[in-house]
Parts: sequence; structure tokens; C-alpha cells
Amino acid sequence: MTDDVVNFTYMLRLAYDFLHGGRKFQIKSNRKDKKLVSIVFPFSELVFAAKAIPIFPIRLEKYKVNTYLQALNSASSVFGWKTVTNFLGFVRKFDVLKVFDGIIDDLIDSLNDKYNEMYDIGIEEGISNDFCYGIKSLYGMHSSHQGIYDSNVNVIIRCSAFNKYYESLKRYHKNLIWLDIPPRNIGNALELCTENVKDTINQLEKLTGNTINDNDLRKYFRISNECKQLYREIIYDISSSDFYPCNPATFSEILALLSLSFQDFNSDAETYLKNFRNLVKEMKERIRKKIGKDVSNMPRILLTPRFGGWEPKSHEYIYDMGGRLLYADWEILGVLEPVEAYTYTDPIEAYAKFLMNTTTIGIGCDQNALTDSYIRVAKKMNVDGLIFTQLFGCHSISNCYQMLREKIRTELEIPTTMITFNKIGENLEQVKTRLGAFMEMF
Amino acid sequence: MVDLEFYLEYYDFLKQEKDNGKKVIAFLSHDNIPEELIDAAGFIPLRLIFSGNDELMDKGAEYLPTSTCSFALSSIGLFAEKPNKYKFLELIDYFIVSNHCVSDICSSEIICIYFNIPRINFYVPYILSETGLKYYRLELIEFKNKLEEIKGSPISNEDLFNSILKYNDFRKKISNIKYTNISGSKKLELYQKASLYGPKILEIMDFNTSNLEQAHQTNNKKNIILTGCSIFLGDDLIDLIEEGGGNVIFLDTWVGDAYFSQQFDDTWLNAQREKDPIDILKEFFEKNSNTDHIVPNYINFKISKINSVIKDLKENIGISKIGVINHIIKFCDHISLPKEQLKEELQAIDTPVLNLERDYSRASHGQLSTRIEAFLEMI
Ligand code: SF4
Ligand code: SF4
Repeated sequence: MTDDVVNFTYMLRLAYDFLHGGRKFQIKSNRKDKKLVSIVFPFSELVFAAKAIPIFPIRLEKYKVNTYLQALNSASSVFGWKTVTNFLGFVRKFDVLKVFDGIIDDLIDSLNDKYNEMYDIGIEEGISNDFCYGIKSLYGMHSSHQGIYDSNVNVIIRCSAFNKYYESLKRYHKNLIWLDIPPRNIGNALELCTENVKDTINQLEKLTGNTINDNDLRKYFRISNECKQLYREIIYDISSSDFYPCNPATFSEILALLSLSFQDFNSDAETYLKNFRNLVKEMKERIRKKIGKDVSNMPRILLTPRFGGWEPKSHEYIYDMGGRLLYADWEILGVLEPVEAYTYTDPIEAYAKFLMNTTTIGIGCDQNALTDSYIRVAKKMNVDGLIFTQLFGCHSISNCYQMLREKIRTELEIPTTMITFNKIGENLEQVKTRLGAFMEMF
Repeated sequence: MVDLEFYLEYYDFLKQEKDNGKKVIAFLSHDNIPEELIDAAGFIPLRLIFSGNDELMDKGAEYLPTSTCSFALSSIGLFAEKPNKYKFLELIDYFIVSNHCVSDICSSEIICIYFNIPRINFYVPYILSETGLKYYRLELIEFKNKLEEIKGSPISNEDLFNSILKYNDFRKKISNIKYTNISGSKKLELYQKASLYGPKILEIMDFNTSNLEQAHQTNNKKNIILTGCSIFLGDDLIDLIEEGGGNVIFLDTWVGDAYFSQQFDDTWLNAQREKDPIDILKEFFEKNSNTDHIVPNYINFKISKINSVIKDLKENIGISKIGVINHIIKFCDHISLPKEQLKEELQAIDTPVLNLERDYSRASHGQLSTRIEAFLEMI
């Protein structure tokens, strides 16, 4: 996989920032008097606008692969990232730098190990084994970094476990910032949601001592809109191409990393957007130059939900079995819709509209809306098959397989299967067998 | 535990009401559903409080994963299995899909879709803020409109106000049993029946609590406050506690005091006669500190409620040795997630707590009894 990766300058940059860029915030002086606010969903714009640092908690951890990336990063500060990765690509041709083989694999593996470690801490802290992987590991993350965050943004969703998880964070944080979203868009619910966003802004202003003005908001909504658009370009255009800029397993890993890093924009929205833009450019360029892999005969499989926990070995298995696996959770959950941040609109109301819309079509308030969303995205991506993850302990986004299967049968007519998931690395044989049987349908 | 005859009687009751032109509106038994509005529309609210055995739970698992709470699964199972005993379910006209928890949404939605029951939505905000309250009011109005559409005529303010008075009086009367000297199982039976019949129970049963004796300390029984998930009709958990030597002296659950203690002061209520009764229902929601639905103060409310009950029992009733059983239906998000915090905080004030997590499988009965007995011995 080395050739794929080392030439992906901006992928490496994004990956580096994701895994290494967060740890420095453990040290207060590195925050430059900014507040550190943990966040889980991709709703970080308000935090940026408050001149605080949003952080997805797993990014505070220390990773084994840091040495590779550290070296790369140090070199990059002297020669620049592009030179460094071009150099690596060149050296690789002489098979000298074997150490970089599978660098993205390493990243993903160490990330997964960390997730499992956090999961175990969550259980030690008293979270019942019966909750989903995501909640248990998030709880572990908060417990292992008590006192480091200044706050956590709690965006209310329909998942009752998650809302209670937010409440339980009181144990670790003095300050919790809440953002309530009305469950349905009825009457003047939009107005109420706008009030709620204002209230969250007030909470952030109080925490940071900074004022959030309309221009700050618009700026970050625009950045996030462009990231969303680029994200969609990868999901819909690049992923449907007959030629991939890398091998399909690496492509799946890139999608996984993007969905993780998208939550806090690697704590630096401007840089994230720049890297994202260049990543898409790089991908297109490689496709144009036919650097990568012809995937025209490989069926495209959508695996969802991934958010909350999934078996990362799946994309390797699917690749070995002749397919390409795609992840598109944020699109399914409706969060890639743009915020209408035009100069003449009230940005707070625009954001409230976005939140209400997300609730209605994606994160949704019922299974019908949610399954419709799975179907909508699968249709638009024109995938050949769908794998549904039934995540142990999830009572919200991954428990509607029965309803989804019926909709797939009547509206999509593509093969589908369900795999259960509890913890990374558990039941690998079972997953493999199940995926093998599924891939035989193509 | 109630017998078959009870279910038949309940069928007759509902059938008679239906024959009189009333509609039956069912929902999963949690709080915050405004039964007063249903009553004012001339309809019958039917709380689903039937679960406690393997069969219903297993049947429900054909629709939702087994990692769903046994109550939600059993509620689906009722419709999938249609056991004869629950023939009255055939009389349901509408089903309310509400978001007390996400399993409530999912199971109610499945009941509507797969068993062809017309759906009515009623969603509740998660945060008790000013906007949350305004949102709740919106839902009340939507709900009222929907009921009026079904009814074919408006619900007058006077009818709604009278229903509010009626339910307030009903809750007051039933809540009088809370510290009486009747066994926990008997209390639970009364709460369960009252939950099903609503204010009608006062006409059907002789419900005079004035001649009931107040609870007092008995030497051979260990007194328990039961909190967490409700015990539903068909579940013998309370029998297991009693067989183990315990007595549930206080039921701090939705089929129990958590619901019936939600009352308005009569003088205050009468002063609201000229106002919009929708605002009284909104007020009811605002005052409902017993709910496990809301965040972020559920656990604080819960602990202060249990503390005040303990204080009451100690200072006013003279009962000193009290334990708390936190009943957790496996996979119940609301009760399970904060269980350790509840335990830690109550133990810190010398109250023994048992987090009793279980599903409805018969196989776990022996283990349940052992845990209960061991806990009771500690008190
Ligand atoms: S929706 Fe499911 S995966 Fe997400 S937090 Fe809730 S239970 Fe976990
Ligand atoms: S999860 Fe808890 S609150 Fe939800 S339906 Fe089950 S018992 Fe009720």
C-alpha cells in the first residue's frame, strides 16, 4: 500500500493532524489561552466561532505510530510536506523505506487499539457492558483525561443513551454546554431551535470570555459547507469512479479517517479545509493520470452505520473478496447538508434550520425517517450492495434492520446482509464468513 | 398478581366504553402523555403495562434486536403474539408514538406499522428549559388538534379543565396508599389497576384509604424502596422480594408513586379556571421532577426524592432500616446509565442499594432470588 499512501501528501497531513495534532492540547501552554471543548458530532462551528478549540476526545491519546509521523512531521517543517512525501515516494522505489509500508494501516490499527483500550476503561468506570461501543469508549476517553477539557458540547439527539451519557459527564466536567434540538419541526419549532442555538452561544461566550459575532459564524459555516461539499464529492463522485486513486482498502480507510476527523476538523478548521481541498485535488489528479487501480469490476458496497462502532477489518475482507467498501454515515445522518450562511441571512437561524433539517431527515425522530435516509443515500451512491452493522447495545441508529431490509427489497433490489458488532476484533471469523457469503451474491 | 378474570373484566370495561362511541388510545406506559386531553376528547387512554415473561419478550425480538429493553420487546410481543388474555388489545384505535426513550419510539412505531394501528405523534423535549416548555406546549396543541380531528368536534376548555380536575383528584386519592400498611404487592396491584382504569377505578373499586392503617416497622420484614423501572402486569419481581423476606414499602416508579404524586394544589388549580387549560398541562410537565426522561438533572432529582422518602419514613413513620432496590430492565438507557452514580451517592449516606439488572427470562429467576435475598440480609 506504500505507493498509494506516500504520494497522498494531504492524506498523510490529515491523518497526522488527526492522530498527533490533538495530543499537544494536553499541555495548557499549547492552547494559547483558548478553551478546550470536547465534541462528538460534527457540530463544531460554534466552538470555533467562540475562539475555543473543539476536540474529538480520542485525539488526546498517544499513538504508537507517532514515531513515523513525528519523523515525517519534523522533516516536513524543514522541507515542507510535499517535498517530504515526494521524497518518500522516490525512496520507496528503491525499497529502502519499508518502514512506511502500510502507514495508513498502522494508523488505523493503533487507533483501533486505542478505542478498545478506552472501551475497557469505560467498563472499569462502571458503564454497563450493555451500552454501545461508542458510549463505552467515549466514557473511557473522558475518564482518562479528567480535568483537561474545559467543557463538552452536548447536542441533544434522539438516542436516549447518548443523552444520559451527556448527563453522566457531569462527573468529569464542571461545565457542560447544552444544545437542545426540538424533536419535530412543528409550529414555531424553528424559532425555538434558534433560541436554543443563541443559548448555546451564550454558554460558549461565558466559557471563553469571547463574543461570537455573525461574521465569525458565517466564516465557520462557509468553511464547514465547503468541507461538506468536498466530502460529498468523495462519497458520490470519486467513489463511483471506475478507477480509484489508490487501492480500494486504502480508499475505505481514507473514508473512515475522514468521518472521524470531520467531527472537530482536526481542531483547526482553516487547515482542515486546505488539506481536504488538496486531498480531493490529489485524488482527481491521480485518477486523471491513471495512478491507482482499475476497480471497474469490483462491486461497490455501502457499510453502515459506522458511527458508534464497527469492525474495521470489514473493508480488508471485502477487498480480498473482490469488492470495495464505502462509508457514508454523516451523509446518511443528514449532517452534510449545508448551512445557508448567506450574507443577508441570520446565521443563527440558518444554523437552527440546518439542525432541524438534520433531525428530520437524518438523526431523525423515527425509524421510518432514518431508514428512508439509508435508502436515499444508497440510491444516490448507486451502490451494488449494503451491509448493515447491528451494533450491540444501540437502540437508535442500528436497530432498524428489519424495516430497512424490506425497504431495500422493494425500493433498491440489491443484496444486503447484517453483521453484528460488539467490540473491535471480536468475532472476526464470523464477520469473515458472513461477508464471504454475502460477496458470493455478486 | 392479577388473575385472568381481571383481564376479562378489563376487556368488558373497554368494550362497553367503545360501544358508547369512545376510542381507545394506547401508549407505552411512561410519563408526560397528557391523558387529560384524551379524556376530554371523550376517549380512553390505555397504558401498556403488560410484560414480564419470556414469550412476549422473545416474540418482540423478531422485530428489534435482543439488545432492546425487555419491556419494549414485550410490548411489541403483545401484538405479535396476541395472547387471548390480552384480547382487549384488539379494541385499540390509535397508538401514540412518543420519545420517552428511543426504544419507546422504535417499538411504538413498529406496533403502528406492522400491526396496522393508526399512529399519533407526541414528542417531548429532553431539556426543561424555557424553550423546552414552549415546545411541549406546541406538542400539546398538535395533539389536541389531532384528537379533535378524530373526534370531529372541538375539545372545549371547560371539558379539558374538568378532565384535569378529575385526574388530579384521582392521583391524589391513589397516592394516599403510599405509606399505608398494606403489602408492597397489594400496593403495586392497586397502582397497576389504577393505571389501567384511570379515574374510573374510583367508581369500580371501593377505594377508601381512610381506614387503612399507616405502615410501621415489623421485625421480620426488610423495608425496601423500589426505584428505577416499573414492575408491570405479568412480572413477579415483587413476589420474589416478598418471598425473600422483604417488603416494598414505597414504589418510586412510574407504575407507582412517581406518577400518582404528580398533583396540583386544589386552590391553585381552581384559580386557573379562566385560563387556558393547555398551560396547566404545560405546568404539569414542568413540575414533573420524577421523570427519568429529562436531562441534565434526572439523577439529582432522583437522589433528592429518595432522600426525602427515607426522611419521611424515618421521621414520620418510624421506620429506620431501609434499603433501595434500583430495578433496571436490561438495556434500559435511562435507568441503567446512571446506576453507579445513584448507588454511590445513596451509599454515601448509609443507604444500602442493590442495582438489580435483569430481563424477563425465566432462567434468571433463581439468580435474581439469590441476589435479592443476599441484599435483604445486609439491611
Ligand atoms: S445511536 Fe446507537 S451507536 Fe449512537 S450513541 Fe446511541 S446507542 Fe450508541
Ligand atoms: S428503555 Fe427504559 S424507559 Fe425505555 S421503554 Fe424500556 S423500560 Fe421504558
